[in-house]
Amino acid sequence: MMPSFEILFPKDLKEALSMLASSGKNTRIIAGGTDIIPGMNQESNRFKNTEVLVDINKVSEIKGVQLVRDRISIGAAETFSGILQNPVIQKELPLLWKSAGTIGSVQIRNRATIAGNFVNNAPCADTVPVMLVYNSTIEIESLSSKREITLNEFLSAPYKIKLNKDEIVTRINIPIPPKKFVGDFYKLGRRRAVAISRITLALLMSFNSNVIDEIRIASGAVTPIGTRFFDLEKFAKGKKMEDQFLRTLASKLGEQILQITGLRWSSEYKLPVVQQMFYQMLKGIEPVLLRQARIESD
Amino acid sequence: MIELKFILNGKEVKIVTEPNIRLIELLRERFDLTGTKEGCGIGECGACTVLMNGRAVNSCLLFAAQAEGSEIVTIEGISNGDALTPLQKNFLLYGAVQCGFCTPGMILSASALLGQNPNLPTRSDPALSGETRRAGQASPTEEEIKDALAGNLCRCTGYKQIIEAVKETAKELSLERRHFENGKTT
Repeated sequence: MMPSFEILFPKDLKEALSMLASSGKNTRIIAGGTDIIPGMNQESNRFKNTEVLVDINKVSEIKGVQLVRDRISIGAAETFSGILQNPVIQKELPLLWKSAGTIGSVQIRNRATIAGNFVNNAPCADTVPVMLVYNSTIEIESLSSKREITLNEFLSAPYKIKLNKDEIVTRINIPIPPKKFVGDFYKLGRRRAVAISRITLALLMSFNSNVIDEIRIASGAVTPIGTRFFDLEKFAKGKKMEDQFLRTLASKLGEQILQITGLRWSSEYKLPVVQQMFYQMLKGIEPVLLRQARIESD
Repeated sequence: MIELKFILNGKEVKIVTEPNIRLIELLRERFDLTGTKEGCGIGECGACTVLMNGRAVNSCLLFAAQAEGSEIVTIEGISNGDALTPLQKNFLLYGAVQCGFCTPGMILSASALLGQNPNLPTRSDPALSGETRRAGQASPTEEEIKDALAGNLCRCTGYKQIIEAVKETAKELSLERRHFENGKTT
């Protein structure tokens, strides 16, 4: 049974921020609603006591995709369908484009928004590992303040984020990686569509005079929140792309994930899958990486 | 209570409702449009699919209040009176209907893909989904059809007949379009 609440429809950002500033603690922002609506209908604890919903779908300031100098700025309420139809994103942020296509179904992607994917900070949010390897930052506004922090910092703990009650995430800013960067995204779900991810991995790397110049690795679903592996990235920097090293790197990634989560009933399955799939991702992008490095050196 | 105004199957409607009513409940209980089905209630089965401004959406994942100012098409609004659309005809022809519970959602998702919707907004809206913008373009591939229908579950047919019906309709529509375009140029 759906609980009772009041729903407000601000026309612009200022009105939305005023509503948040003047409302009580049981106020919630709603955009796509693909999580909140079934959650409330099933009387989930996460949405218990919600008294007011502020629907931001008519707030135009937080929609649209803009190319601002060397970064792409995506409105927080942009839908995944909007992202999939954007040729600039498809070309410049191929991992985001790929991960967006794995979310839910057409019906869900037509409503669900990019910020909605991470403001819940659920471990299985498909686009989070990708946005982490892209070094994304997010813009946050309230009536009296405006700030920008990294997504990595914003996602503090499972289902917890660094956002005050009077604030709204307005934009996600993603620096366009230089051409030499090549990457991949992997999602494992229990079926091919409309699936909650069980494992997600994102990889972005560049190659320079025969060694790994920079590598960025992130996981989702197998870690309590989307996680970057900075130690592993440091370890791999400057190493040669030899098969034995790639195997070692994949094996170490699995070990680190196990360290974070501890041994679980699913570890016996997930650990070898993570290691094998990460190795496959590295091998898969190797030819493209070498080609890009050659183009760069010419 | 909230007063709503939107376009439902081509007609402007006004209704007063509680804020905690989902669109599916409004359509079924207040407008008697029971072709829209509730299966899972969590956006997985697609039986409640309707078109909102030309895009397929789950009506169980929308509050009725969110339909304000939009254009909603249900299965009841997809055909022109008693005349079936080519897609509906092909669903019958190819045996794509068995128990029928998923059929309205399937038809609406496939209609969005094929741009075959009598109440499609005529303005060129850049926000329209790829599925809808496809109208006037080449026929969708089998993969594209599967992707467009991935959010609609069917437990009877095994999907083969549904995919064939959509594929055949796409072929007919593109032939029709070519015929129309040729007719215009000569």
